Amino acid sequence: MIETPLIQIRNLTKFYGAKQVLKNLSLDIYPGQVIGYIGPNGAGKSTTVKILTGLIPDFTGEVIVDGINMADDPQSIKKLFGYVPENAEIYDVLTPMEYLDFIGKLYGMDSNTLQERAGKLLAAFGLANNVNDRMDTFSKGMKQKVLLIAGIIHNPKIIILDEPLSGLDANAVIMVKELIIRLSKEGKTIFYCSHMMDVVEKVSDRIMLINKGEVIADGTFESLKQNHSDTLERIFSKLTGSEDSGTEADAIINALD
Amino acid sequence: MDKIYLRFVKLLNPVLSKAGVDTDQLYEILRIKLIIDQRRPKTMFAQRQNNKKKVQSPWFVSFFTVMMGTFFGLTLFLNAMPYVAQTIYFSVFMVLMSLTLISDFTTVLIDTRDQFIILPRPVNDRTIAVSRILHISIYVLRLALLQGLPGLVMIGFIDGIAAVPVFFIQILEVTFMSIFLVNIVYLVLMKFVSPQKFKDIINYIQIAFSILIFGSYYLLPRLINVTLLEHISILSHWYSYILPPVWIAAFNELLFHHERANMITSLLAITGLVVPLVGLWLVAKVLAPGFNRRLSIIATSDGSASTPATVKTERKSGLMDKIADLVAPDPVENAGFRITWKLATRSREFKMKVYPAFGYIPIYFLYFTLNGKGQSLAERWENLKAGHNYIVLAYLCTFLLMAALSNVAMSDKYKSAWVYYTTPIGEPGKILSGMYKAILVIFYIPYCLFWGAVIVGIWGPAAINDVLLAMLIGIIYGILMALFLIKGLPFSKPVMIKQSGGRTVTTLMTMVFLVGIGVGHYFLMRWETVIWIAIIPIFFIVWIMLYYYKKTTWEGLEMADDL
Repeated sequence: MIETPLIQIRNLTKFYGAKQVLKNLSLDIYPGQVIGYIGPNGAGKSTTVKILTGLIPDFTGEVIVDGINMADDPQSIKKLFGYVPENAEIYDVLTPMEYLDFIGKLYGMDSNTLQERAGKLLAAFGLANNVNDRMDTFSKGMKQKVLLIAGIIHNPKIIILDEPLSGLDANAVIMVKELIIRLSKEGKTIFYCSHMMDVVEKVSDRIMLINKGEVIADGTFESLKQNHSDTLERIFSKLTGSEDSGTEADAIINALD
Repeated sequence: MDKIYLRFVKLLNPVLSKAGVDTDQLYEILRIKLIIDQRRPKTMFAQRQNNKKKVQSPWFVSFFTVMMGTFFGLTLFLNAMPYVAQTIYFSVFMVLMSLTLISDFTTVLIDTRDQFIILPRPVNDRTIAVSRILHISIYVLRLALLQGLPGLVMIGFIDGIAAVPVFFIQILEVTFMSIFLVNIVYLVLMKFVSPQKFKDIINYIQIAFSILIFGSYYLLPRLINVTLLEHISILSHWYSYILPPVWIAAFNELLFHHERANMITSLLAITGLVVPLVGLWLVAKVLAPGFNRRLSIIATSDGSASTPATVKTERKSGLMDKIADLVAPDPVENAGFRITWKLATRSREFKMKVYPAFGYIPIYFLYFTLNGKGQSLAERWENLKAGHNYIVLAYLCTFLLMAALSNVAMSDKYKSAWVYYTTPIGEPGKILSGMYKAILVIFYIPYCLFWGAVIVGIWGPAAINDVLLAMLIGIIYGILMALFLIKGLPFSKPVMIKQSGGRTVTTLMTMVFLVGIGVGHYFLMRWETVIWIAIIPIFFIVWIMLYYYKKTTWEGLEMADDL
């Protein structure tokens, strides 16, 4: 490819105490790609995301985003990112408007633009009537929508979505899937972490499977299919070592006898 | 009120931006933090939208703080000997301030959500650090001013109007000193214990704090002779030179009572001015960076599952298993027993509400029994030993049972209780009796035995039968409470504030019943054998009541309506 990668990760290594969670991880991500980042629990997915978003500042290796090195200037990198965290942390005594206003201003957005954009986005997500309600009365899906808006409100170049569909109803899921495709057409780079294989399969241009801190498969869904198996679910279980899910299920059935 | 602080912070903008702080972001972070602080107390009850009643509104807390300030401000009037008044005042000030800070630091000032909300945004470290320091300062100053306000007025009457600004400086000194101390306590704790332990220890400090406040409110007036206090000569003990409140008191002494001040007073006063400032500098320069880093470790290690180092494994307790199987042999009852025992000893919320009762009981006892006007403390103690008032203590233990029972059905995480409703439990009474037995076995009976041993130690073996009888009657009382008032499976209901009118009447009725029995017991005490014989039928009543409690049906239970 002629393009230079937007995100370059080189030899990323991270230890928690004596346990190594990332082993010399290297990857290049090109502008406009939708990356499906998958792996079993404890594979190092969240750690990668936390390093990218600056939540974990101490690691070895190199992270370069848009030509900027993470070690030199994390603030400029953070400006490029929009992040929707997995664990739905939100200041729920605030109203969505107050929260979005706060987040937008942390990105240095102008107050008027911010108000207008937040209003439009909330309306588009179907929260027009809850703009000034406190979020502690919200359902999980409603909070998730606010978090999604907070992740895109400053129109970032790169969007990191960590399990963004949790708690959303079927209609909202369809909408978010559509949104991801549209955002990528707009030239956004999207880093999508999820356990929901069917969604990853549909929205991703490129799928990366990581296990025990290493990338063990990388390519388009088509290329993965040729080399391994016919659905992403099967590919996943084949590559992450639990190929014999049949025998596991047998063991479970036997245990009940 | 918050707007004034924010405007004040804006004045600092030129200095701050030179130091590399993004002042717009700073302003936003502080503004949001203050809004959150203001709204926080109400969220405690947010699970129930229809509960509009606020138990702990910010105004109430402020009012309470001012009241406390007035209460111990009265010590300022002890004016016979140098130092005494102000040393006592500032000691109390410092203790209260430090304890409040310790217990509030984690909940108010360290919001682990910051980790996910602010940190991924383009906010530099310095802005975050400064916002944290300013937030803490605003919080602390608000507390200091409320607490010191009554003293500020009183000192004006005592030493003249000129003493007021000096007193204000003294309040700042003592505040800085407290911050310094609390920081050191935190750092030491964080250095030596795991994040999980750290939160537990803070929890225990909070419990100790509430017992201390309660105890000093009830007992200090009984134990301390004010006229004696006034004539303590503080500087005649060498150790008083190293007590920070003495240094701070010296400042007033030097300026307003120079006739009795000397070289040492001036030295102490200078120490009092210098040390807090040095302490503050140390906190900002040396301690704070490590502090923030460690806090973020606590925050990240708590929220994510990716750090296996902090997984808390529970030891298997063989003895408890045996007791559980012995006391509650039925499988369903056994489940109720074990779940209560485990949740009650592990949930912070429950401990916060129930554990203070452990301390309240002896305080109540001394409060009720150590009276006698015009007698010295030793005489009152002799009177107590000669009488039979130990029976009061034996019955007061029921208070613990009451505290445990009225909280055992409630939980913040009451929704987890869905398991009871989806499993085919025909007789929920079995869960209830398991729950009740667990409370008896882990809290009530050991506690009674402990005080029983103390009573027998002081009053002799003749008290054994009384202790046993009181304990059994306590158990009966507990079942009555549980039958009429609790009506919920363990940890299955949202924390409620309101109690319906009928319940208050029932509570009163059962109280009257208990007191009646206690008085009856008191009169029967002279016949030792009668007490021993009474134990037998009472024991059978306990047994029968437990049997019927076990038969409670679903109709007799209340459940949360929004599972």
